[in-house]
Amino acid sequence: MPSLLIFIPLFGIVILNLPFGKAMRNAAFWFALAVFIVQIVLAITHQPIFWGNEIEQMDAFFRVNFSVDQLSFVMLLCIGLVSLTSLLVMRDTIFDINERFKFINLLMLASMGMSGIVMVTDIFTMYIFLEITAIASFILIAFEKDVYALEGAFKYMVLSALASVLILAATAILLLGAGSASFTAIADAIHRTDNNLIAVAMGLFVCGLLIKGGMVPFHGWLPDAYGAASPAVSVLLAGIVTKAAGIYTLIRALNSILGFDANIKALLLALGTISILVGAFAAIGQKDFKRMLAYSSISQTGYIVLGFGCATPLAIAGAVFHLFNHSIFKSLLFVNSAAVETRLGSTDMDRAGGLAQKMPITGFTSVIGALSAAGIPPLSGFWSKIIIVVALWQAGHTWYAATAIMASIITLAYLLAMQRKVFFGKLALGLEDIEEARLGIRAASVMLAAIIIGFGVLFPSAYAIFIAPIGEMFIK
Amino acid sequence: MSGENWQVFMTFGFFIILLSVCGLYCLLVTRNLIRAIIGLELLFKAVTLLIIVVGYVTGRNALTQAIVITVIVIEVVVAAVAGGIALRVFRHTNGLDARELKKLRG
Repeated sequence: MPSLLIFIPLFGIVILNLPFGKAMRNAAFWFALAVFIVQIVLAITHQPIFWGNEIEQMDAFFRVNFSVDQLSFVMLLCIGLVSLTSLLVMRDTIFDINERFKFINLLMLASMGMSGIVMVTDIFTMYIFLEITAIASFILIAFEKDVYALEGAFKYMVLSALASVLILAATAILLLGAGSASFTAIADAIHRTDNNLIAVAMGLFVCGLLIKGGMVPFHGWLPDAYGAASPAVSVLLAGIVTKAAGIYTLIRALNSILGFDANIKALLLALGTISILVGAFAAIGQKDFKRMLAYSSISQTGYIVLGFGCATPLAIAGAVFHLFNHSIFKSLLFVNSAAVETRLGSTDMDRAGGLAQKMPITGFTSVIGALSAAGIPPLSGFWSKIIIVVALWQAGHTWYAATAIMASIITLAYLLAMQRKVFFGKLALGLEDIEEARLGIRAASVMLAAIIIGFGVLFPSAYAIFIAPIGEMFIK
Repeated sequence: MSGENWQVFMTFGFFIILLSVCGLYCLLVTRNLIRAIIGLELLFKAVTLLIIVVGYVTGRNALTQAIVITVIVIEVVVAAVAGGIALRVFRHTNGLDARELKKLRG
């Protein structure tokens, strides 16, 4: 019954928007909370009663064909966790009941779109879910309605529409070759013929997905969109939207359609390394907390792509694990920035200082998040980075491995500089009566920090259950 | 693909490329937000035409019709949201100039 993950939120949104007065607006929060928690539980337990059975009449009526594998489970778990975090942050940053209601609708729409992306089996349905996610994200970014947010939203809109055009053009050319839009039919057609048009199509497709994923050299929109959006939206965008819309689709397309050939591998290795370096060096110079985290996000996405570019089972398992870790620790850091923003009114790092004295939980969890991002043992970020580096070394890409390690040191440098400026050192003037963040933000940051520590300490069993099967999936 | 179909494809291909070059040019040179949206629409039109031609030459009209209708719907939604954002920008800055939107730098 995987299609229920799409239909329940979808019909839920429709019913909540029927004119039944205020009761529905109050119910929306609890409905969304329940949907996300159920999704997390189902993705962790792999409940066979839910995933194994199909409701055939409904699927035939809506003509959907979803399938779920190990990689989808990891993505569904990330989507549930990050959406839940975003919902909790929303509770403490948006107070007007009508605005809240609009936000929850859009959040559920985006989350549903991403759940669709990770379960589809044909390229055109994938495009539809990509658009659903993207349109919900534009509106969410523009939610603040100030000039910065509108600018970020418009930039994202233009580049995302451009990416859509590229993806559609690629879909059309692939249809020309295969006559059907399903992954298997296209893969068969590619293996049968050796056509130049197919190469063009795959080039367009990969370009489109790299724009959606915010990789260098298509990263221009990303810091603006992340930095200008309201706190709850930044959490959602940085944690999962670009990963599900860009990186997951890329790996699915490469694995199910194209296969990893030498050119693609070289391209991904090069782009991954450039993204790591550009993101890390740009992050050093930032004065704004959220923009720094956005550049750091580009850099961490580079590690994921580097792992995919290496394309050994170990590297891919490491890359997927890093994708999971990234969505956890980057959400955590954005939750911390939300805590700072709600209490200070801005995320300018020069205005902050010594906040850990007044906000102990935010200060402590941000240290956990930053150390996990930099890859310090025994936190979970260390394990995924070490897997990627070891896999690169085994495959003979010693220079890429060395660059990855060096960039990790730069990551540590800018994140520790951030910690010193914002949370430690002397308390800045005028901040004497600042308080700890509200309950929802505290709960979200403690939950994410616990996941980071838990996955790090229990790494061997987590690896065997969640991550190793993904690597095996890619051996053919 | 037979010879005749190939010729149809190439003829349409010329116009598709022309439309997409117009759209890209419009997107690159303009500083007006509404014109940028028009440029995007031109690009979407080019790709819609491409899908229709693919349906014609492969003989799978039913599939491509379904796809084209979906694409048109999505395109309208994108245009509506983009128009809404442009309207908001107009209310804030009293103009539609993209140069007003340079507070953030990539």
